[in-house]
Amino acid sequence: MSGDSESNDLERRLRAALKPVNPREGFSRGVMARIAAEPARAARLPRAPAVASWLAFGLAASVVLGVIVAHEWQAGRTAQGLEARRQLIEALKVTDEKLDLAYRVVNTQERATPPQHSGA
Amino acid sequence: MSGDEECTSGELLTQALAGERAAFGMLVRRHQRSVYSLALRMVADTHAAEDLAQEVFLQLYRNLASVSSEEHLAFWLRRVTMHRAIDRLRREPRHESAAPEEAARAASEAHEADPILERRLRSLVRELAPAARAVVLLRYQEDLDPAEIARTLKMPVNTVKSHLKRSLALLRERLGESAEAPT
Repeated sequence: MSGDSESNDLERRLRAALKPVNPREGFSRGVMARIAAEPARAARLPRAPAVASWLAFGLAASVVLGVIVAHEWQAGRTAQGLEARRQLIEALKVTDEKLDLAYRVVNTQERATPPQHSGA
Repeated sequence: MSGDEECTSGELLTQALAGERAAFGMLVRRHQRSVYSLALRMVADTHAAEDLAQEVFLQLYRNLASVSSEEHLAFWLRRVTMHRAIDRLRREPRHESAAPEEAARAASEAHEADPILERRLRSLVRELAPAARAVVLLRYQEDLDPAEIARTLKMPVNTVKSHLKRSLALLRERLGESAEAPT
């Protein structure tokens, strides 16, 4: 017998020996029972990513909103500070002008009034 | 419709994807013989094989959306079964029964040409290393060609051919030894 025919014979015998066999009766019922035993899990599976994505979206939106509010608040504070600074400078300028005016009035009056000597 | 025996696996797949459990049950019955036989001949234990095969179908149920066609389904089932079996053999020490499938085959043995020789061959296949055994099973039980086996096991085609060549030589040698051994 040649090597080829020997090999073919072995392969033929292997095919015969390795014919698929059936599982025990009720195998598919067992599979379906295992599937039925986890409906909650199966039902949760598609929803879980949706919940997670909504949570992530909510979290991201909160962070963005927080940043915007903080930025607005900070901008408001800065504007208030600048306005207060401007008002203070204005007030100082006004005060300075008033003091200057008062100083000049006093000086003018002092020069206009000759010193009074007692008639001794 | 899902109970219709004439439905193709592709149609059953579509119905199962739409949530029809009866269609999925039909898919299980269509493919259980192949999946269970591969599992049985890999793990060599009837209970472990049944458990493994059921896990494969559970995994299919959870990942049904990733299966695109009838051909893909058969490929997916073979690949997951083999990978799960090889993983299990790596994780757990082998505790095979002497002839795990003989009970299942007893009824059909009357039709076998040489039941003793075929039993001996199955026993020799069980003694092959897991990767070689997987290759031999996909070749001679599932009738896949080396390229298909390579895709299923994620293995180079040349490795598949080499496993086949060495396994056949080993089986022939051991079969010769057992034939020569005094009874």
